[in-house]
Amino acid sequence: MDESRPETVVVIDDDRAIRLSCEKILVRSGYEVACFENGALGLEAVADRKPALVLVDLKMPGISGLEVIARVREIDPTAVVIVITGYASIESAVDAMKAGAYDFLPKPFSPDELRLVVGRGLEKRRLVQEARRGELERELLKRRFVTFVSHQLKSPLVAVHQYLEVLKRLGDTDEVRPKREMWLDRCLERTDELTSIIEDWLTLASLEQASFSRTREVVDVRSTIRKLVEGYEGTAAERSVALNADLPASPCPVSGDPTCLAVLFDNLIVNAIRYNRPGGSVTVRAECRPGEVVVSVADTGIGIPESCLPLLFDEFFRVGGRGEGSSGTGLGLPISRRIATEHGGVIDVQSVEGSGSTFTVRLPRHELEGAPDVAGADTALEEMSLP
Amino acid sequence: MTDRAKILIVDDDPDFTESLACFLEARGHRVMRASDSDRGVELARSCRPEAVVMDVMMRERTEGFFAIQEIRRIPELADVPVFAVSAIYTAEPTFTIAPEAGWLAHDEFFRKPVDLDELALRIEARIADRREQEEARLP
Repeated sequence: MDESRPETVVVIDDDRAIRLSCEKILVRSGYEVACFENGALGLEAVADRKPALVLVDLKMPGISGLEVIARVREIDPTAVVIVITGYASIESAVDAMKAGAYDFLPKPFSPDELRLVVGRGLEKRRLVQEARRGELERELLKRRFVTFVSHQLKSPLVAVHQYLEVLKRLGDTDEVRPKREMWLDRCLERTDELTSIIEDWLTLASLEQASFSRTREVVDVRSTIRKLVEGYEGTAAERSVALNADLPASPCPVSGDPTCLAVLFDNLIVNAIRYNRPGGSVTVRAECRPGEVVVSVADTGIGIPESCLPLLFDEFFRVGGRGEGSSGTGLGLPISRRIATEHGGVIDVQSVEGSGSTFTVRLPRHELEGAPDVAGADTALEEMSLP
Repeated sequence: MTDRAKILIVDDDPDFTESLACFLEARGHRVMRASDSDRGVELARSCRPEAVVMDVMMRERTEGFFAIQEIRRIPELADVPVFAVSAIYTAEPTFTIAPEAGWLAHDEFFRKPVDLDELALRIEARIADRREQEEARLP
């Protein structure tokens, strides 16, 4: 829904003075207001304009207020109905509530009373809508999870089961004997795949609970990156990919959880190596700018189709057909995004299909309060990073 | 047992294909493999399999169902028995679809991991039926 559009209020009252004053007060409060002198005209407008809130006089000639309430509820169950009446009595109030009115405004009322009641009604509507949206999101996530479990967790299990069954039954036949070693290796690989999917899933689940956010240290991302790049030199060389770190001379301090920040960059570097091509390169660059630390991981890999970019950070999403035997779990980027968000940062990607992708992480820079303190922390991290 | 038959397996999981293919080959059949639906339809067109095992939930969801439709459009394969397999199922869909059910008319569903004996027996029975019908049609 467009939040910037003013909410519409429909007023149905046969008393012209009430209509005029309601309109004046509510327009001044920023609502769009439409007033009608009887139930028939009012209901037509309700069906037509789908107002967020309807003010109804209980005592009107023609269609009664109670009937108007019931019909409004039929037309749009999310519309909030508030009853105005000069005959404020317990019975009429109870009847109105039974018919589906949310609140009651006895005549005469002050502008403040009107604003208060209308504001309260709209607030309730927003809460209901938010709850419904939340429910919908949870429902979607649940459905996505079912598909995820079925596909990503079951596929390796099915493959292993099927291998074992054929091995058990035909393991000694001429057809299968030469394949035994290869199949057993595949079984091991597939169980490893299953393990990493489960591990990533658990990481993501623990991030959802944000249990780590209490650990805050000053981390110099230069040393985090240096350590990771050193660790992946072998993997990159195996794939004939040049892995470079381009780091500034001065510290890049960020306040956060060192383990999580390492996971954040780890995922990006692993992807950049995995979805690359022989002879390609990966460049990890860190920069300290006013107010922020910017880390980018650029690869000369296969790139990401434009149509996939909006979904890239979604859980369980994987770009189809990327590289042979790509063993990603589909959870790496969601984890990275989650960590970036938890640290008050953002993650973004630019990609050209066929020529490479650049992932950029922007994190708030840790502002130095006492210089010796941070220098100390920084030195400690530098020391830790030494092999 | 049915004489050596040509069977096509279409599945994006090479490990599933490998084990099932070997099992069927050990029973004396010739197996062709495709790792996506495009290649599967292509192979079906050029090799005319007598039975197709099709994963119906590949990279693109329900991709397999479209491939079945494509294969059925090949006149010689309009009545080829198709065995739909999937690891994703909510209830037990033990459906053998009625002949009047259009393009799904000749399909049977097996859940993964498949019961190898059961699947092989069904494939062989359906192939034998179809061969018999074809012979009867010959003048």
